Amino acid sequence: MTGLAPLRRSPAARLAAAAALTALVWCGLLPWVLELGPVARHVALMEARRVDPSAMYYTELERLPLRPAWVDDVLVLWPSPW
Amino acid sequence: MPASVEDRAKTGSSDVGRARGLHEDLAAVLIGAGLVILALAVTWAGRPDGDRASRESHPKGWPTPLAATVGLPGTWVDSPLAAFRDGSGRLAVAPVALGMGWVVAVGTLGAVLGGGGVRRFLPGGALLAALTCLAYLLAAQKVVKFYNLEYPLWALAVGLLVGNVGGVPRWLTPALLGEFFIKTGLVVFGAEVLVSRLLALGLPGLMTSWIVTPVVLVSTYLFGVHALRIPSRPLCMTLAADMSVCGVSAAIATGAACRAKKEELSLAIGLSLFFTVIMMVAMPPAIRALGLDPLVGGAWIGGTIDATGAVVAAGESLGRDVGEVAATVKMIQNSMIGLIAFAVAAYWAGWIDRDASGPRGTLLGEAWRRFPRFILGFLGVSLVCSALHGLGPAEALWVEGATTGFTARVRGWLFCAGFVCMGLQTNFRELAPLLASGRPVVLYLLGQALNLVLTLGMASLTFGWLFRKAVAP
Repeated sequence: MTGLAPLRRSPAARLAAAAALTALVWCGLLPWVLELGPVARHVALMEARRVDPSAMYYTELERLPLRPAWVDDVLVLWPSPW
Repeated sequence: MPASVEDRAKTGSSDVGRARGLHEDLAAVLIGAGLVILALAVTWAGRPDGDRASRESHPKGWPTPLAATVGLPGTWVDSPLAAFRDGSGRLAVAPVALGMGWVVAVGTLGAVLGGGGVRRFLPGGALLAALTCLAYLLAAQKVVKFYNLEYPLWALAVGLLVGNVGGVPRWLTPALLGEFFIKTGLVVFGAEVLVSRLLALGLPGLMTSWIVTPVVLVSTYLFGVHALRIPSRPLCMTLAADMSVCGVSAAIATGAACRAKKEELSLAIGLSLFFTVIMMVAMPPAIRALGLDPLVGGAWIGGTIDATGAVVAAGESLGRDVGEVAATVKMIQNSMIGLIAFAVAAYWAGWIDRDASGPRGTLLGEAWRRFPRFILGFLGVSLVCSALHGLGPAEALWVEGATTGFTARVRGWLFCAGFVCMGLQTNFRELAPLLASGRPVVLYLLGQALNLVLTLGMASLTFGWLFRKAVAP
């Protein structure tokens, strides 16, 4: 085990190990998670509805939010004071 | 020889704002406003003929020729190479490479205006752009993307990992202009913060946003400072804004306005994204169980879940109508960022940062001296774009095209680069004390609980009863 000690101390080796672990999770574990029932159903529904759940702000959405027309039928938006 | 995190913290690393050049805030305002003017001018010059005002033809505004100059990695499942393929499956690296180019170009311009050297910036700038692209790539994995784990989280993670595990080479430090990238991104972001959106759902929408949001923001902040006795006021304010307004974008704007430390902003963003995923999954079944009607349920989701994408995802999982209302309520909250950031900056400049031992001046003069100028740039760009957007249907499509096609992507690259820099300059050990006390988590949870109760009450009052049209018998 002592032969590995210099490698553990080397920043480049530690960074390479971290990169390999990240690649394993992103390219191996997460694709497997995607196949799981609830996750697959969530992703399929979002794709069917053309929703981008990663949007940070409304301008990043696939469709810009607009007040749906049916809201005017059920809501008084600007009530008259009289 | 890599520089230690402590070395970097002691010496500082920004070339922007050095004595020989412009102040960092002014450089950010000039470059940010220049990018917005460029976007508006090019979009106007390339405006479509004929049905200019038709939203059916241009649902996201007029197409802008500048869209081709900035792209983002696409969604991928098991091979990151798929992120660089276009719709027809061909390898198309150029749009992403150009996006990286904007990071280098803005950083170079900042270094020049700040009196720093281009030669010193460029090698580090190229590596910074590559790390920024890596962060975007991690965020574009399908599971990560569809559960709203946004790019700021991965940008911080990439920076923390490289900085703390591998170390930062000295030639990279001149490119670590984190604050400058965030400030410039915020000025560009102003073009998307359209005040006219506040009226999208009339008086019920205004009441839900303008009564509940400020009440939750102020009470969470005061509770954190006085009841939980969290020593950092900027952390309390950033957490409160993050949770009550609209997540990461609000945290960036208010964190910059009250000069939160990079560790505090990182913590606020991490907490927000963690709880956003939980709320995105938990709220739809809760709304079903409570039997709320679409308007009330949509308004509740829109007013409480932090991130816009997660709001739409949660709403759409209950139906198109709930999704539409949720997205519109969230958009109204989104539009408050400019005014809230301005109010926070004014409060900090006028009261919190006052130096009792310093020279006495008028309150206004003192506040003006300390006021962060880039917030004025952010608000100014927001007000000008709001005014243009309100001129008419064609002008609305003009502003929307310029923002959705260009400025939104550029500010995404700039924010992402800013967070990579923050990660690179943060020591793991500096985050530990913040987390160890557990008080920021308690503050977030209590604030969010208050937000949930007040928003449900107000949504039921306004959308469910007060402004409801009488149903014909």
